[in-house]
Amino acid sequence: MRGANAALGAAGLAAFLALGEAVPRLGLVKEAYFPPTSRIASALGDELADGAFWSALGDTLTGWAIGLAIAVGAGVVVGVLISIVPYLREATASTIEFLRPIPSVALIPLAVLLYGSELRSVLLLVVYASFWQVLIQTLYGVQDVDPVAEETARSYGLGTWARVRHVLWPTALPYVMTGVRLAAAVALILAITAELVIGAPGLGARIAVAQTSQAVPEMYALVVVAGLLGLLINVGARAVERRALVWHQSVRGEVAV
Amino acid sequence: MRRLLAGLTTGALLLAATACGSSGGGSSSGSTSSGGITTVKVGLIPIVDVAPLYLGEKKGFYEKQGLKLSPTLAAGGAAIVPAVASGQYQFGFSNVFSLMLAQSNGVSLKAISNGVASTGVQGKDFGATLVKKDSSIKSAKDLEGKKVAVNTLKNVVELSVRESVKKAGGDPDKVKFVEIPFDQMPVALDKGQVDAAMAVEPALTTIKDQGGREISSPLVDVAPDLTVAMYFTSTQYAQKNPAVVKKFRTATAESLAYADAHPDEVRQIVATYTKVPASVLAKVTLPKWPAGANRASIETQAKLGQEFGFFKKAPDLDTLLP
Repeated sequence: MRGANAALGAAGLAAFLALGEAVPRLGLVKEAYFPPTSRIASALGDELADGAFWSALGDTLTGWAIGLAIAVGAGVVVGVLISIVPYLREATASTIEFLRPIPSVALIPLAVLLYGSELRSVLLLVVYASFWQVLIQTLYGVQDVDPVAEETARSYGLGTWARVRHVLWPTALPYVMTGVRLAAAVALILAITAELVIGAPGLGARIAVAQTSQAVPEMYALVVVAGLLGLLINVGARAVERRALVWHQSVRGEVAV
Repeated sequence: MRRLLAGLTTGALLLAATACGSSGGGSSSGSTSSGGITTVKVGLIPIVDVAPLYLGEKKGFYEKQGLKLSPTLAAGGAAIVPAVASGQYQFGFSNVFSLMLAQSNGVSLKAISNGVASTGVQGKDFGATLVKKDSSIKSAKDLEGKKVAVNTLKNVVELSVRESVKKAGGDPDKVKFVEIPFDQMPVALDKGQVDAAMAVEPALTTIKDQGGREISSPLVDVAPDLTVAMYFTSTQYAQKNPAVVKKFRTATAESLAYADAHPDEVRQIVATYTKVPASVLAKVTLPKWPAGANRASIETQAKLGQEFGFFKKAPDLDTLLP
């Protein structure tokens, strides 16, 4: 079954690539604006041979990784704190609901003013966008704690820290991991957007330079790289999720009795 | 109780945010200097116009003055002005009209060196109004009632097209201006989304390769030898670091003169910081890089800006210009 799925997936991709080659060749769209797959592939080959491309890729991944790490760390800590300190959740609910929907890109002028076109501008946008994903999932996860388990732990005399460690955390972890997976994708989107719009060094800035230089195949090649990066990050995030939750029924695939 | 807590939380969040901001800003503002060499950050746009700086850095004109340039490419001029004003970059590149606009909006800037000028030759400038090969539009006057693409509304490109329509005997108010980035103008023109486009290199060459036809050179129509862009700094930085500004000015003047005299080297260096395809790069019309700005041409832009109602308040050229 797995092999069949993989074969179907490969066939779908091949058909997509063939379509990308055929549509411009048949003159349905102009080659100048939508180069055929083969030209994009050769531009991609040139990119891979260029040292500047790899340093741009490194810049993007650095922004992504640091931003995601800060967002996950802060999201989990703040989420748990808000949940266990009495009244804090009620007090912060409206503020969170106000801040959360602000699109990160709306902060671009602020980022430029504070940090110019540097890594820190990228980080501001990445952290802002991915922090909420983790925070909200953590809050939901903590809410899901079984009151019976919680009461049992209390009656056995477990302290706050022990209850966080043995009751709250195992319940919240599956939610947190979902948050991390969503945040990983959002962080990549924001890292590339920030580079594209602000011009901070990275893949996005390289796409912008290709665009202003009228280098169309190179631009598409870089867009393809961004897509591949997203794919790898998603696969990676799923792998991490499976590892962290081996013990959990959603991964074990057994029905709890 | 709930309200009080909510207020406290918001306050704490805001405090945290500002704390991050000021500490971060403090560490990066100001130029770093070590061993007699001052490193300055310069905000540039990845276009042909800024080639002299790259060339000057390569030729050692900046090093001779004790400067090391750290060029930072921004996606557009809009990101450079705030970054220079807030001290993130020491110097920046911007078109003069945007500097006047920023100044009339209360941002304290000081233009210090010439940036780039039009070639001043009709039909052979680095910017032009173009139409499709089979278009019925023959002159700038025919643009009345037509859709014309400009990169930014109410900026120097629209200003120059308006002036060229006026000079051809037309009414610029009858032209419909549409905002489209330079790099998208070839497609927009080809697909008929606009009737004409005011494009600069390398989009200009792309359009000509598609068979587009030039109908006017608006930058030449505004004034002969129009100063289009300049390097600038914040008033604050200029006051605190007159020596650095003077060195930058000296090295830039040398770089501009060198670039103007060595077009082949310009084309080579452009290939290092842009991705303009070699076939296009060989054909682009290079701008002029005179050592000094042409004040009369900037006064004309200021006057036209007021005439067309682009300014809220007239810019003060004596404060802005060197």
